[in-house]
Amino acid sequence: MSSEIRVDEKLVQEIASLARLDLTEDETRVFVSQFKDILDYVSILNEVDTENVSPAYLSSSSKNAPREDVIEVSVPTEEFLANAPESKDDYVLIPRVHIEQ
Amino acid sequence: MKLHELTIRETHELLSSRKISSEELTRDYLERIQRLDPQVKSYVTVSEDVALEQAQKADECLKSGEGLTPLTGIPYSAKDSISTRGVNTTCSSKILENYKPFYDATAIKKLNSANSVLLGKNNMDEFGMGSSTENSGFFTTRNPWNFDHVPGGSSGGSAATVAAGLAPFALGEDTGGSVRMPASFCGVTGLKTTYGRVSRYGLIPLVSSFDTIGPMARSAYDVALVLEAIAGHDPKDSTSRVESVQSYSESLKKTENLRGLRIGIPKEYFVEGLDKEVEASVRTAIKQIEGLGADVVEVSLPHTQYAIPVYYLILFAEASSNLAKYDGVRFGLSERTGDLMDVYLKTREAGFGAEAKRRIMLGTFALSAGYYDAYYLKAQKVRALIRQDFQKAFETCDALITPVAPTTAFRIGEKISNPLDMYLSDVFVVAVNLAGIPALSVPCGISNGLPIGMQIIGPHLSEETLLRIGYLYQSQTDWHTKHPPCW
Repeated sequence: MSSEIRVDEKLVQEIASLARLDLTEDETRVFVSQFKDILDYVSILNEVDTENVSPAYLSSSSKNAPREDVIEVSVPTEEFLANAPESKDDYVLIPRVHIEQ
Repeated sequence: MKLHELTIRETHELLSSRKISSEELTRDYLERIQRLDPQVKSYVTVSEDVALEQAQKADECLKSGEGLTPLTGIPYSAKDSISTRGVNTTCSSKILENYKPFYDATAIKKLNSANSVLLGKNNMDEFGMGSSTENSGFFTTRNPWNFDHVPGGSSGGSAATVAAGLAPFALGEDTGGSVRMPASFCGVTGLKTTYGRVSRYGLIPLVSSFDTIGPMARSAYDVALVLEAIAGHDPKDSTSRVESVQSYSESLKKTENLRGLRIGIPKEYFVEGLDKEVEASVRTAIKQIEGLGADVVEVSLPHTQYAIPVYYLILFAEASSNLAKYDGVRFGLSERTGDLMDVYLKTREAGFGAEAKRRIMLGTFALSAGYYDAYYLKAQKVRALIRQDFQKAFETCDALITPVAPTTAFRIGEKISNPLDMYLSDVFVVAVNLAGIPALSVPCGISNGLPIGMQIIGPHLSEETLLRIGYLYQSQTDWHTKHPPCW
């Protein structure tokens, strides 16, 4: 796996941008070396023949049991908004999505 | 005997015969926390007001006798990833430092209806990411047996709390050993439940397909009492199991020996790197269990060495998805600066610690276009093989016994600069989460003043068998009754 992947600062910065993390230069440098170690380590899985194996996404053999979709009283708006950084009337307030150029 | 020295069972007798009140008991624990926890540092939040209010309610119940349960009036603490209405639930992360849930997790709700008393919330590795509590966004919990050593993780605060007599039991959460490993390091009894046996509703997720809530206490019997109170199907968790909950404690009272039970010893768990004293203690425990009537045979779990890479790849992927919601918009920390994108970037940079960022990064990478098949899909396929190993072993065995960890508790600072080395301390515990099966961690020795634990693993929903083995072992040994110097 990892042998073909070039882990450098550019790759780490690209992933950070996808993950919405604003990494410092120090963090970026440390991640480059730790990523290499960890990706090298997990490449041991290449030894395992999984040609005819189906993936096991769930932890148990039992099936999910969804409930009936019945409308019920949920959270009072006031209590929900108590955790919001900013709110106005019944809404969560966020900063502008676009800034005029 | 002092109140904090009693088991749940003994405390219940005093409460129900009204020799003590829940309020007295609760005040006794709060006083101990105030006195000892500045050194142990096991609590992030002490919920004194809630505790005293719940204790008074419990006393009314004890007085009238209505709705009395073995946990009525018994204090406890919970890992800080389990939602508690009106009481800060931080996951030991700066990003949730002031977050107050507006609802209780189902496990907490069940303890509320049993009239148990919430003393507070325990420290952990941030969002459950770690094996020592050193990744907490706030502080490191110390091992009550030796303050220079870690308590294990990620439920390290809960294990230390129970070990130091700062709560008779705690709710932990196990994603990849997070109940069993700290239980072993701190010398308490901890159960990783079958996936879905206890509702995850209100449990702040790390890896949704691994996470399980489980009890940590001072004996297998006490663990059984807590399990029967919190287990069961919950319409609010579609992955919770529908099978009815057994009366675990009642069946323990009836058990006399282990005749007819076959126990497998997986050879892959007794290999190089396993500390000699840990190995000797676990092997002695196996002999004692054999002496209780069980047949012991060697078995093989051939894919054991792949469990750690599989576990971490799936964890990275699921954790990075689960942590995407902490963006400074609806709750939690919010760095209000610039436009919305700046808020995301600055909030996440300021709110997450180094390990959380590392795992978010690795998960984002493993799930990104071009790498999904090589990492995430490959890991899920090898996971299927690891599950098959266990299924085969359980065709001939009722349970398996292994060490919980290769060593006793390591020193604070010893592994923090090398994440891979830290990951490897989970080598004996993560396979159980990949298979979704239950496992019990039971104290079975002490080496250089630090506890050793054995792990008893069973097939899905075999909690009764695991507790039975632990209970009978504890009826013959006294490791679980030993206490740290700060006790």
